[in-house]
Amino acid sequence: MVMKKFINDPNNLTSELLDGYCGAYSHKVALQSEKLVVRANPKSAGKVALVTLGGAGHEPALSGFVGEGMLDVSVVGDIFAAPGPPKVIEALRAMKRDAGILFVVLNHAGDVLSANMAVQMAAKENIRVKQLLTHEDIAPGADAPDEDKRGLVGCVPLYKIAGAAAEMGKSLDEVFEVAERFNRNMATLAVALKTATHPSSGVSIFELADDEMEIGMGQHGEAGTGRSKMMSADQTAETMIRQLSGAVQAKRGDRLLVILNGAGATTLMELYIVFRRVKQWLAEQGIEVARAIVDEFLTVQEMAGFQMFVAKMDDELLALWDAPCDTPYLTVR
Amino acid sequence: MNIDQLKEKLLAAVAAVRANHEVLSRLDSDTGDGDHGITMLRAMKAVENAVHGCRDSELKTLLMDVGWAVLGVDGGSTGPLLGCLFLGMSDGVGNKSEIDCPGLAIMFQAGLEKVQEQTKAQVGDKTMMDALVPAVETLKKASQEGQSIGQALENAAQAAEDGALATKNFQARFGRARNLKERTIGFQDPGATSMAYIFKGFARQ
Repeated sequence: MVMKKFINDPNNLTSELLDGYCGAYSHKVALQSEKLVVRANPKSAGKVALVTLGGAGHEPALSGFVGEGMLDVSVVGDIFAAPGPPKVIEALRAMKRDAGILFVVLNHAGDVLSANMAVQMAAKENIRVKQLLTHEDIAPGADAPDEDKRGLVGCVPLYKIAGAAAEMGKSLDEVFEVAERFNRNMATLAVALKTATHPSSGVSIFELADDEMEIGMGQHGEAGTGRSKMMSADQTAETMIRQLSGAVQAKRGDRLLVILNGAGATTLMELYIVFRRVKQWLAEQGIEVARAIVDEFLTVQEMAGFQMFVAKMDDELLALWDAPCDTPYLTVR
Repeated sequence: MNIDQLKEKLLAAVAAVRANHEVLSRLDSDTGDGDHGITMLRAMKAVENAVHGCRDSELKTLLMDVGWAVLGVDGGSTGPLLGCLFLGMSDGVGNKSEIDCPGLAIMFQAGLEKVQEQTKAQVGDKTMMDALVPAVETLKKASQEGQSIGQALENAAQAAEDGALATKNFQARFGRARNLKERTIGFQDPGATSMAYIFKGFARQ
């Protein structure tokens, strides 16, 4: 597959994209130390700070969600590659405060290694930080051990929940508790139709035949539950929502947050059509879609496919979801 | 081995990886996203810069500088793991300005232990450990047998290469490839392969 993208020197992808992004949204975000995306208007020192880390190449995630009511710092690595411990500890030092830091880490080998090392260093410097690991991917099976489950787009709504709690002035333990409750009641399943290319190497990140799809594929092209023949939107929707609904043990009367997150090349048209059947199927089970988003939060370059996300909500989580936030890629008034 | 000789060995390791970075990317595209070669080039550039930039005369400072430089590479798992190896080697060398073969074995053992603080991966899990562990075991045995540093490193490099080749038959248990499960059998692990090139460079006379 020949890569056709608007890039310059592939060695400068991350620095150029961060420059462009922070330049476009300079009233909300700023770039610090080349790899830290921070709020242009920092929150008060008395509130819990929210820090995360991750590779680039998934824009708008993760840095698109830095701002009031969500993240304080996003530490950026390279394309599809976690940042090293030095930049992570730099972010933790920058956010050091008595109120403490909630450090959200997505379960991927590089992210976890780097985060663990940085947290070890932070402990030696008396930086108060609590680590929360997201692992909501149910592709390996809803009952698979947490360490086998990747952290996917679920981190984005989690940033919203935790960020709202922090903005309200809750303590680190309180912010952690509500974020962890959300963490345990969310699930994501991805599906892939067409591959993407890694913009540095130009290499296709996976192979799929013209008539195939793969449910459960990860956000760097890692394998899912296996290939199958193309299904219709309704069949795909049902296959996925059935598993997701089961994973969060949704039952009659429950309220869900549903997010359909396009992978980059799938049209909103397709996502709306899929969502239609998702909402219908849930209604048939007596389950309410309390809140929904159909958008592109965490992409995989030009991959065709999407991640379907659900979270079981309660009154407190809904209130936090509805609380104001002001970031470049999610704003709630 | 004194500091000048250690610097030479580090630069030889850099050269060995550089000469084979395309092999690493090809191996990584079989079961990964194809960027291990590029990541290792950046890691080796960091090693090279640290070696040339080190004004200190202490072995431990040189290794600490190299370790921190590699940690900063932003290359996913490679940075922390390879960085820890060098940081551990820095701990292992203590205040010595020169090491003999037993000192070399102790240095690499400390490097291995620091990596093991961060990962539970073992031989057979299809990772860099499949090359690193046999290499370190070989160094320890070589020093007990009274081999010279040159002989010990040559044997260690062979053990690392054998370990990397053996990964072809294993199923990946760590990293992104673990999701492919049995589909990884038949493919050599890129992380073990780059570790083998590092030891190959160290063994160069």
